[in-house]
Amino acid sequence: MGTRVLTVEDDERIRASVRLALEDEGWIVDEAATGEEAFEVFRRVQSDVVLIDIMLPGIDGFELCRNIRRISDVPVIMVTARVDTHDVVAGLEAGADDYLTKPFAPKELSARIRALLRRVRPSAPGHSRLVFGNLEIIPDEGKVLLDKQELQLTKTEFRLLCELAHDPDGVFSRGVLLDKVWGYGYFGDGRLVDVHIRRLRLKVEVDPADPQHVVTVRGLGYRLQS
Amino acid sequence: MTRLSFTRRIGIRNRILITFGTGATILSIVLATTTYGITKANLLDQRESTSINQAYINAQRVQRDLIREPSHFAAALEQLGSSDRLLLFDKAWSRSSPLFGPTQLPPQLQNRVLDDKVATRMIIDFRNSHSLLIGIPLPQIDASYFELNSLTEIENTLSSVRLALLLSAFITMVIGVSLGVIASRRVVRPLANAARAAREISDGRLDTRLEPSDDPDLQALSTAFNEMVATLQSRVERDARFTSDVSHELRSPLMTLSASIEVMNSRRDELAPRSQEALDLLVGDVIRFRGLVEDLLEISRFDAGAIKLLREDLNLEEFLRQAVRVSSLPNTEIVCEPSVSGVVIRGDKRRLARVIANLIDNARLHSTGNATIFITPPDSIASNSLFAANRNTVWVIVQDNGEGLIEGEYEKIFERFSRGGIAGSRSASEGAGLGLALAREHVTLHGGRIWAERRRDGLTGARFVIELAVESRPAVAL
Repeated sequence: MGTRVLTVEDDERIRASVRLALEDEGWIVDEAATGEEAFEVFRRVQSDVVLIDIMLPGIDGFELCRNIRRISDVPVIMVTARVDTHDVVAGLEAGADDYLTKPFAPKELSARIRALLRRVRPSAPGHSRLVFGNLEIIPDEGKVLLDKQELQLTKTEFRLLCELAHDPDGVFSRGVLLDKVWGYGYFGDGRLVDVHIRRLRLKVEVDPADPQHVVTVRGLGYRLQS
Repeated sequence: MTRLSFTRRIGIRNRILITFGTGATILSIVLATTTYGITKANLLDQRESTSINQAYINAQRVQRDLIREPSHFAAALEQLGSSDRLLLFDKAWSRSSPLFGPTQLPPQLQNRVLDDKVATRMIIDFRNSHSLLIGIPLPQIDASYFELNSLTEIENTLSSVRLALLLSAFITMVIGVSLGVIASRRVVRPLANAARAAREISDGRLDTRLEPSDDPDLQALSTAFNEMVATLQSRVERDARFTSDVSHELRSPLMTLSASIEVMNSRRDELAPRSQEALDLLVGDVIRFRGLVEDLLEISRFDAGAIKLLREDLNLEEFLRQAVRVSSLPNTEIVCEPSVSGVVIRGDKRRLARVIANLIDNARLHSTGNATIFITPPDSIASNSLFAANRNTVWVIVQDNGEGLIEGEYEKIFERFSRGGIAGSRSASEGAGLGLALAREHVTLHGGRIWAERRRDGLTGARFVIELAVESRPAVAL
């Protein structure tokens, strides 16, 4: 079965043109005009990626994103109006994996979707189980255990954690993580990394305010430790 | 004309001060002089009348004594006390004190009393002080009586009065000047407030207002001022909102356009040659249209003051390489002087990349299609070196080999939708006209400067200089 993309956008013409462009990529496109409708469609079909415009009538994009996050770890892309408003951070905090600003080129969108759908890079032999103190990562099964309890991470959070785990005690700059996890080049938005690290800490740290595993290396980036 | 410029040079504060000071001085001088004059006249009058009365009483007494006992005329003076008195009786002078004798009597007084038999008074200098001399003829016994009353007491009183008046005049003057200082401050304060408010408004804080005043005169000013600002603000905001609204509205159809064009473009080979040509035109213009809408949105956000920079430390050389790579001339050469190699600036990389992209676009459109970027330390011999010399800055120069700029229009090209300033004619469709205006807004927001100038090496072409603050320099490698 092919990749299914759910696009949530209230402008019918934009929806139609984006559908045409995404279908050209060989993907199956489901559409919704409102947040309520989108949630219904999402529960019915098995979407692989969800594209949400923040400006929706009824429940807005943030709310829809939070609702989807409650039941799924599916990659979500937000469509925001501006780069420098708090919309971006609010969208990421609501659980989005990436964002685009309107108007975007459909090629950008498909590149973003492909980056989010990439699989975790295969673990090196002997690394099928990575242990960092009370944190345990099993990359091939997509599982993360904290004190033997399985954690619910989104696909992007999981990939971020695996990248950090790939070189234990190595320091990863924002630029490197943007490239490895999101496929962004030099001009990627560092806030993507920062917000995802924050979200990751909420899950893998006993005390997120005093992180023991995902630590910040001032001026350099992030590091995973036992 | 000279008067006008003179008063203008003095300034309203000093003028008020001078007015108050002069007024207080004149007032206190007039008051003091009048008070002194009146006091002096009164005191003298009083003294004179009491002295004259006393002298008559004394003269009567002497006369009575002499009528009764003509031989004791010396004793007649003695029983009056030890004052300075003279008596001419029977062609002989008798005196009560050895210091006061007939020689001290002024001749005209002697004439009046002795010859004309008229009672006379006169102020004379006696032993270095003023004294009142009274002469009374006593015709019944053919004698003349003279009495000298010292005015020293009055003079002492008058000198204390003078001192008191001088002191109070001085105090009045000081109070006057102080009042002047206070008044001038009070008068100037609303003006200074208005000036400060006006400055804030021109700096873009359009919500600035003057404090409402209780003073009816000032209230007219502050009300008029605030109304003006409110009108200005609503007009500016309406303009900004209009641009912003238009651009926002344009984004939806633009979104549909670019998505549809992409779908068509991926089937370009299925189209007839003429349709392909039309499609290519369409694709090109949709891209340009997108750029224009993005620029408009960005500039309307500048106007609304809504831009927030996402600043981070950037290695300038590395940043420029990346910025050039995504520009319209990805092979543009970058030349970095060793002394500024590795400098770090603090900036919003995507916004600064737009600046570089816009300058490269500009070079592409207005020259033979290539540009060179130089990273240099600020040029100390540059005309505007004052700024450059005393700050830790770095220059990024985008140089082209086009026709160069028309003299006198180096600034004009930074205006919005400006098409002038560039030598040689270009097709009207080239360039949106917002690129350089945006570049300037971005650089200014970064605390830097951008300007255009002629190439320094004598060849034709323009160079755009961006001056940015250096955040840090790499440690010198040993």
